[in-house]
Amino acid sequence: MQTFHIHYRNTQGTLMRILNAASRRGIDMPYVQAIPNEQAHAVTLLLDVNPKQTGQLCRDWRAIVDVMNVRAGAVATEMANPGAWTTPHPPASVSASGNAAHSAMA
Amino acid sequence: MLRGAEIVLQCLRAEGVDLAFGYPGGAIMPLYDALRDSGIRHVLTRHEQGAVFAAEGHARATGRVGVAIATSGPGATNLVTGIADAKMDSVPLVCITGQVRSSLIGSDAFQETDVFGMTLSLTKWNRLVRSIEEIPLAIAEAFHWARSGRPGPVVVDIATDALKAKMEFAGPVKFQPHPKPADVHGDSTFSETLIALLETAKRPVALVGAGAKLSGAIADLRQLLDHLQIPTFATVHGLGAVPVDAPYYLGMVGMHGTRAANLALDETDLLLVFGARLDDRVTGDPTRFAPHARIVHFEIDPAQLDRVRPCELAVIGDLAETIPSFYDEVRRVSSPDWNSWRAIACGPERAEQDPRGLAAPAIRFLDELFRRLPQDSVVVADVGQHQMWAAQRFRASSPRGFITSGGLGAMGFALPAAIGVQLAKPDTTVLCISGDGGFQINIQELATVRRLGAPIKMVIVDNKYLGMVRQWQQLFYSRNYAETDLSDNPDFVEIAKAYRINGRRLDEEAMSEANFAATSQALDSFLRSPEPEVLTFECHPEANVFPMVPAGARLSEMVFEE
Repeated sequence: MQTFHIHYRNTQGTLMRILNAASRRGIDMPYVQAIPNEQAHAVTLLLDVNPKQTGQLCRDWRAIVDVMNVRAGAVATEMANPGAWTTPHPPASVSASGNAAHSAMA
Repeated sequence: MLRGAEIVLQCLRAEGVDLAFGYPGGAIMPLYDALRDSGIRHVLTRHEQGAVFAAEGHARATGRVGVAIATSGPGATNLVTGIADAKMDSVPLVCITGQVRSSLIGSDAFQETDVFGMTLSLTKWNRLVRSIEEIPLAIAEAFHWARSGRPGPVVVDIATDALKAKMEFAGPVKFQPHPKPADVHGDSTFSETLIALLETAKRPVALVGAGAKLSGAIADLRQLLDHLQIPTFATVHGLGAVPVDAPYYLGMVGMHGTRAANLALDETDLLLVFGARLDDRVTGDPTRFAPHARIVHFEIDPAQLDRVRPCELAVIGDLAETIPSFYDEVRRVSSPDWNSWRAIACGPERAEQDPRGLAAPAIRFLDELFRRLPQDSVVVADVGQHQMWAAQRFRASSPRGFITSGGLGAMGFALPAAIGVQLAKPDTTVLCISGDGGFQINIQELATVRRLGAPIKMVIVDNKYLGMVRQWQQLFYSRNYAETDLSDNPDFVEIAKAYRINGRRLDEEAMSEANFAATSQALDSFLRSPEPEVLTFECHPEANVFPMVPAGARLSEMVFEE
């Protein structure tokens, strides 16, 4: 496992492009955390990648227009053991009643 | 006060746009309404895919940014193949799409698709414009990213109410990109390292890709190669970058490359790559690609590095700067003696054999056609067997003389792309070569050709199959020709006539000695005509393209016949 920290300007689609670089390679993303910031937003990814993929991903991310900085780092404890903060998925169902449900079915 | 649509058009003019290709529809109607006095010529194609390929053809022929326009929903989805094609082949392209009203975005409104999301992974940059105020910067930024670095496609998706709204407009703006820390720094001392590598190399070679053309570095590259005199070959997009009569030039490399080029690449101990991605059609089995070579990669886009394996030296930057910089250094030192290597790599034992087998008449037909073309002609090839035959046989004399869909391999490319090329070069002979399968994918663009009176010479190499797929079925799937039979093709000559375009037909008999005088006359007449014409050449259904490196094989494992 390898973590990546990417700083980016939060323009349209930049975060999606960052995530797409991994998803288009069929790489699972067990941990993703994006943190807002006035100057540079940051996203941290935990990915199971080999050294060649690491190089390709870093170069692809740097080529994204509003990506400012990419660095690889160590795996933090909460990333390796995310059970503490995960919730059931999909979320427990909520009774669909009232106008919203009727609108959806209209 | 100007409408958003008028602002878009003024911004396009400010970027130097005088020609756009498109197809109108509901959400983009305000833009079409404003076109009349914009100073921009609009060419109506008969399908949005035709528009985007025509814009690509124009861009590939000129190096300028191509512009395609479509409406929301199906209009935009029909652009997608062309956008992907432009991404793969580094073509500067701006697509402008209308979007549903901003208040309806996300509501699954009529003809709404998520154009922004759909094109995100296919573009260098894209933008959903929701208000009129965003338009000037969005257009300026779009053109900046389409042109800069490794060129590519961008999409500006504009809500229809932004096109209809009015505001005071002070004029087009300039986009200033944020400074970005370089991810790989160009090493100013690279020449020293490279010269050291050359001094120890016994079998150096050069591989030329599209990047050499895109950077405008052709003259510098030719000067460098003339100095080095090392065996040199090109990718399909690098054809025309090196003069075909250069004594060190070995032609196209890769799956259907020449024997000499593939063997030299397999044997080299130092590979200089000038603006090429090294994709699988060039490398063969990547684990056995150039197994003895150290790689030096001249490249503008760091994302293209190390895709096959790590290079010894990456020279990051515009080739128009890095090649002259290297030449200035290397010409001051004496090169090692590579004569014996050059004699082997470029020697007669590796020369191409005359065409033989079932493909011989088709290849002879193409040879006769190409031999008659004026010097500065442009050949636009579709995708398939005819494409590879054309790449092997056409001796492109100019860097932008051979245009095709290389990376994506999009059938249906050639006819609309040829329209864009012909409009860019009205006095140049433009020869469009398609197969019978590919021609039918955008056959509706014959109407555009007719309307424009564009004197495109359209050749259909008709083997009544999806020929390249059939070839693979023959060689690798035990001749199981599953769903590649096109024996019920329409009569292309009659189709052409229905579009009020003259059509002719030749077959393999026409290439016999007995009929050759008449065939010569027909070819001369076809190429001299000031009108668009279709020429169908009916070739053997089982004609194949050789040499061929089977998928997953090493470049030295070429196959030369069935």
